[in-house]
Amino acid sequence: MTTRDIVVLTDVALITCIVQREMADAIIEAARDAGAKGATVHFAKGTGVRERLGVLGIAVNVEKEVINIVVSTEQVDDVFERMYLAGKLDTPGMGIMYVTRLEKAATHIPLDVLRRLEGGGRK
Amino acid sequence: MSGLRRFRYGEFVREVAGNQRRVSANQLSAPAAGPAAAEETIRLRPIDVHRLLTPYLGIRMKDQLRAVLPLAAYLVLFQVIILRQNVSEGGLIAAGMVAVMLGLMLFIEGLKLGMMPFAELIGLYLPKRSRRRVVLLIAFILGIGVTLAEPAVGALQAAGSTVDPRQAPYLYAMLNAWSGALVLVIGVGVGLAAVLGTMRFLYGWSLKPLIIGTLLPALALTAYMMNRPDLAPVLGLAWDSGAITTGPVTVPIVLALGIGITAAAGRDDSALSGFGVVTLASLIPVLGVMVLALIVSMVSTPDEIVAAASGLSTAVPAWYEQSPAVEIVSGLRAIVPLVLFLYAVLTLLIREKVSQAKFVVTGLVFCLVGMIVFNLGLTYGLAKLGGQTGAVTPAAFTATAAVQGSPLYATGLGMALVLIFAWALGFGATIAEPALNAMGLTVENLTNGALPRRLLIGAVSLGVGIGIALGVVKIVFNVPLAPMLIGFYAVALGLSLISSEEFVNVAWDSAGVTTGPVTVPLVLAMGLGFGEAIRVVEGFGILAMASICPILTVLVVGLWIRYQQRRQESAKQKEELEAVQS
Repeated sequence: MTTRDIVVLTDVALITCIVQREMADAIIEAARDAGAKGATVHFAKGTGVRERLGVLGIAVNVEKEVINIVVSTEQVDDVFERMYLAGKLDTPGMGIMYVTRLEKAATHIPLDVLRRLEGGGRK
Repeated sequence: MSGLRRFRYGEFVREVAGNQRRVSANQLSAPAAGPAAAEETIRLRPIDVHRLLTPYLGIRMKDQLRAVLPLAAYLVLFQVIILRQNVSEGGLIAAGMVAVMLGLMLFIEGLKLGMMPFAELIGLYLPKRSRRRVVLLIAFILGIGVTLAEPAVGALQAAGSTVDPRQAPYLYAMLNAWSGALVLVIGVGVGLAAVLGTMRFLYGWSLKPLIIGTLLPALALTAYMMNRPDLAPVLGLAWDSGAITTGPVTVPIVLALGIGITAAAGRDDSALSGFGVVTLASLIPVLGVMVLALIVSMVSTPDEIVAAASGLSTAVPAWYEQSPAVEIVSGLRAIVPLVLFLYAVLTLLIREKVSQAKFVVTGLVFCLVGMIVFNLGLTYGLAKLGGQTGAVTPAAFTATAAVQGSPLYATGLGMALVLIFAWALGFGATIAEPALNAMGLTVENLTNGALPRRLLIGAVSLGVGIGIALGVVKIVFNVPLAPMLIGFYAVALGLSLISSEEFVNVAWDSAGVTTGPVTVPLVLAMGLGFGEAIRVVEGFGILAMASICPILTVLVVGLWIRYQQRRQESAKQKEELEAVQS
């Protein structure tokens, strides 16, 4: 009898970061440096701050990239901060980011890592 | 154990990250912050302005640098190293080049911010709210308007002064006294192309009969005119004008309209419908210019033109006919009518408002200023450099008055050098063209990878290179253009008939895409300078050759791909057959 195990990860958080088109790569790079394993990007259009910047609003691209990164709750602050700095989000028009607590997540986890973790748990 | 260590690092960082100030979002949206807070203009620190503007300007400037700099550097290096001639008025030309880049940057950005919202709205709503006849009429007028706004058209008007009225009276007349009519005729041609292209969108016509229908009369007229010595010099101009029309204004605006109409009619089945307009917009004006030449030849005689020309040359042009006023006037003339027309259509016919009018107005101002700056750069930079290179290049193989000690090389070697120079100019300028890259991607998707992007770009670049080299051959040996054109287009027609619809679309459009606002004036000026230096009647025709050759190369590549596919399939079938038999 074979049942397939599903390993469910807990203590995970989702960082979503919405920035102008073509800015995502630099931000993902920073997130990876801080320990993020991967990222998903999709395209979007957005409005808001562009209209309030006067003529300089033309420098803000309406086309956006939405970065989704799932990290452990212990990493989340570090990754969040590095992404904020890499995206220069303290400048108006650069974008917005937020963290969502996730109930659970599941993905491929290498077998040897799993064994090591469970072995460590037994000790 | 690396996993464990990473968790500890996370804990460490969480301890360190103390500089996060927490503010409740409720406080931000509270009435205490003021109801207007969300609409207020944001105050920017200098660092913010830098962070916003530097990448914005940087990217756009880099695009223009990439388009202009290699081309200019190539011309200058060829002139200095191979021909050992210094560039005269180098400072002025450099300033002109900077103006070209700045002008194009502003213009393209203005187009995106200011014109495209109009075009998209009209494309979206007009087909729903007006009758089809009105829509086609608007498409026609729009075709004329966008041609007048096309930056490269200015180059044509600037070319008129170099023609000798005694040798080519009608050509001279068309470029001078009739230059307004000439541009208008080209515009009408583009307008007709927009109408036909739109109807093609609507009814899903094949491109082949449209090509045959415009090409056959054009070739017949060419054959007639090449036997009239007074009209033959006009042919180069006529066929060149096709390449000038399809630039950064025409293609997106006409396409936006066409796509809107197709969507409204409920037909969006084929990605191919985007093609074809460019082809027609570069073929129909050719016909128009030839018809205009016939009209000119009917209403005036060569003697009249020569007499009028000699009378004109003594008069000092009025201030508004001198640079820089003439550039400003032509910039205004190019942009303002188009914008007024778009605005009128939007308010009177569609009754729709442009959203974010502030940005649209900024964009339109950009368009206008960019056009004027570009025109100035065209006069002082591009046209001067191209003309200069063209004027000294023949010194490589023949004696010219402008260059001491010419010919610089033995006739054969010098000729080979010039041809290699011309070929590399076309190849290099095309392979770097961003519009071609974009088209390559579309085509790759469209043909499911059968025609890879690199292969298309390679084929088109090779074709343009060969075309420019052939155009130079035409000027050097004073070969009549018409037989070459008729022959090439006949071959292209034949190949089109046996090619599949996709490749016909791609091949004929590729010619129009390649000739951008930098290449066209440069090549035009080079050809004219070249022709003047070796005293041929006219230096047109290079662009015409650069248009037909890529069509041929792409068609041949398409047929080759199909041949390969068939061979693979038949080989597979044979294998299967053998497998069954055994």
